[in-house]
Amino acid sequence: MSGANAATATETETAATELTAVDRLRADARDAGVLCRTELRTRLRHIRGEPRQLVANAFMLLLFGVGLPLLLVAPALSYGERLASGPVPAGQSGAVVAGVVAAGLYLGGAGGFNQNRTGSVGPLVRTSIPPRSVALGRLVSETAQASVLVVPPWLVLLCVVAVGAGNPLPALLLALATLPVLVASLLVGRVLGDVVRFVSRTIGLSLWAKALAFFGVTTVFYLGSQSLIQSQVGESEGLTSFSVPPLLPGEPLQAYAVAVLDPLGVAGHPLGLLTALVVLASGPVALAVALRVEAGLLSFESSESSDERDVASGTRDVPRPFTVTQSARVAWRYLLRTRRDPRMLAHLLPMLFGAMAMGASFITDPESLLLIGPGALVVGGTTLAGAAYCLNPLGDDSDQLPLLLTSTRSVGVLLRGRSVAGAVPGLVLAVGIGTPLTLYQHGIRAGVGQTLLALLLAVSSAGTALGVGALVPKFERREYMNVERSHPSTVAVVGFFFGGLVVGVAGLLLLFGTLGGASLPVVAAGWAVYLLVVAVPPVAGYVYAVRKFDALTLDDV
Amino acid sequence: MGNFPGTLEGAFRPGVSARETVNQIFSPFLPDGPTMTAPSSALVARGLTKRYGDTVAIESLDLDVDRGVVYGFLGPNGAGKTTTMRILTGLIEPTEGEAWVADTPSSNRRELVDRIGLLPEEPPLYDELTGREQLQFAADLRDRSWDDVSERALAYCDALELTGDLDRRIDGYSTGMCQKTAFVQATQHDPDVVFLDEPTSGLDPRAAKTLRELIVDLAAADTTVFLSTHILPVVEEIADEVGVLHDARLVAEGSPEELVGDATAGGASGPDAGEDADVETGEEADLEDAFLALTSEPEAAWQS
Repeated sequence: MSGANAATATETETAATELTAVDRLRADARDAGVLCRTELRTRLRHIRGEPRQLVANAFMLLLFGVGLPLLLVAPALSYGERLASGPVPAGQSGAVVAGVVAAGLYLGGAGGFNQNRTGSVGPLVRTSIPPRSVALGRLVSETAQASVLVVPPWLVLLCVVAVGAGNPLPALLLALATLPVLVASLLVGRVLGDVVRFVSRTIGLSLWAKALAFFGVTTVFYLGSQSLIQSQVGESEGLTSFSVPPLLPGEPLQAYAVAVLDPLGVAGHPLGLLTALVVLASGPVALAVALRVEAGLLSFESSESSDERDVASGTRDVPRPFTVTQSARVAWRYLLRTRRDPRMLAHLLPMLFGAMAMGASFITDPESLLLIGPGALVVGGTTLAGAAYCLNPLGDDSDQLPLLLTSTRSVGVLLRGRSVAGAVPGLVLAVGIGTPLTLYQHGIRAGVGQTLLALLLAVSSAGTALGVGALVPKFERREYMNVERSHPSTVAVVGFFFGGLVVGVAGLLLLFGTLGGASLPVVAAGWAVYLLVVAVPPVAGYVYAVRKFDALTLDDV
Repeated sequence: MGNFPGTLEGAFRPGVSARETVNQIFSPFLPDGPTMTAPSSALVARGLTKRYGDTVAIESLDLDVDRGVVYGFLGPNGAGKTTTMRILTGLIEPTEGEAWVADTPSSNRRELVDRIGLLPEEPPLYDELTGREQLQFAADLRDRSWDDVSERALAYCDALELTGDLDRRIDGYSTGMCQKTAFVQATQHDPDVVFLDEPTSGLDPRAAKTLRELIVDLAAADTTVFLSTHILPVVEEIADEVGVLHDARLVAEGSPEELVGDATAGGASGPDAGEDADVETGEEADLEDAFLALTSEPEAAWQS
């Protein structure tokens, strides 16, 4: 073959290879489209078919589409006015862009970390279409779902800004500034979520170490951001003039916002232009990285995480305090299983986040920690006593129901076992830590009173949670925070958290009112009503749960 | 989730009346239904029927199984074997009919649990426990002390070569090891009737052979074994009686020899009846031939 022919042949081969690559890309995109459409259609059907899902999603849409814009109407109007009436307010504009970045990073990160359908449908998907198509399809579908929460408030707030400005131009420029930032931050967040998932899969730590690391990082991140926000809000005049500080990343964001919102003077903002370039470039780069990492994670996860499985463990006999009754022996097994796999308590994360939100006040007033800390431990511990194992009592064991229902004369033993199991960590918090702190802070009478209250509330919490769990059981497996199991209903978890909070705080107020010397008739009436409130729901809840689960059949699951 | 009595789930769907909704939520507080009188036999079913909407899972099923018998329960996929087993173990309720297991109504789960053991198709084990902890937990569920059952349980574990792995976590077990653990769990408390759904699934040939021997031993010790499987040679080898379920109905019952004899004698209708008996080649018919003959559609229907 001559040199010219060889060159032609090479070119032809290259062209063929290129064509194949293009074809492959096209095929991947087509497969991704099919997966994306299927996931979105399935999700919509799931929401339409379940009244509870329908209500929950409508609530979320109202919360984000109406509630959030309502909260920000005044600052948005004021911002619009300032945009129209003078030079671009750099601090406020930077804060707007920073808010969009935070929302995008959070939603993208949650999507990357909290992958759906990696369990039951995962293997089918993995073996049906190429990993890159799976990753792309899921990314688009999950980003579309996340956008449902972000886009409506974004559009509404842009309209409010336009109203404030008196003309649509500032709002259009603001849309131009925030849209690429939103897309880029969603994708960058996705990469961050993927990386966290990858690290959590590969790092050689026990599940408990990972859980504690997650807890620590989340706490530091949350408290740090709260501290930053509160320091800024404290210096400014509330949300209407809220701005980000001129520090990294605040300064580039401000410069970027000013550059886009003042297009005529854009040449005077080199940092803004540079940031705009970074924003525009980071979207495609993050997309490419996310696809690569997620495609890799798919095959990695399908081979199962060896560090989680290969845990050497001898048999643990039931220790002395738990040998006394059948329920206590059952309780020990729940605790043992949790000790080996803390993911059994993944459903408590909304409570953790809620507690963090409430704990933010400690940042501005650290001394209040000592004052209300012991009471908070009582409320938290007793709520935990019910929430840990009782909010989805038999749904949680759905895979083992054939054993449980053909082995126990009554499920009562399982329900009591779950109550005892929950009471252990709950009372460690409420009494084990709370009581010594109260004794130190408020004296013996308060310590004894608070301990009795904690014991009462722990029992009440468990019985009530069983009733709630029997009313809204969940038998289907789903993925939450990267943990696939039959999680309790989210509404039940959140509702129980707030209910527990109200009842616990009311009890503490009553207790300290009593100890403070409030009038006897008032105190007596207060305690009578309170005891009714903490006694009736748990008794009714327990009886209801036993009757109902004793009648449970596999047709109901 | 289905219509779980006492649940809000599905209670407010369109088409569900207010009365049904109230009944669904408060049914746990309502009194139980009437109790049944018990016939004397290990396992009895009379007119068992289970319907799911328009779909009939089993229809008018009658069973009589003596004590100490291995009863092979055969049928094609979807014939209703698992549904029957679930009714007999009290895991679901029949639409019509009654059943008794060891003189106890299958609807009376409270009494039934002391008399039965169940190995379902998916071994109901907890991944986070070790094999030994799982067996101890199963004993605790029945309020039996481990000391009571451990001798029998450990003997089975020895026979199945599981003892060395008992202190390992179940999430590290192979499918076969899970199956062995679930078998021991179902039998360690010496029940009157054991229900086994595909017990040799996932087992290697040696373990499968041992398990067959254990099943025969169980029956010899007066335990009734209700064995559902697709592995016909297993049934042919160890079953004393066989019932064949087809299209939700029991189409044949008898000893394996009787069924094979009926099939080769043309007792069963259908295009495949005696087909594989291969009279021309002189090969003997077996249970598989009988099963194929019994579960084939009638000729007219087949031709159409």
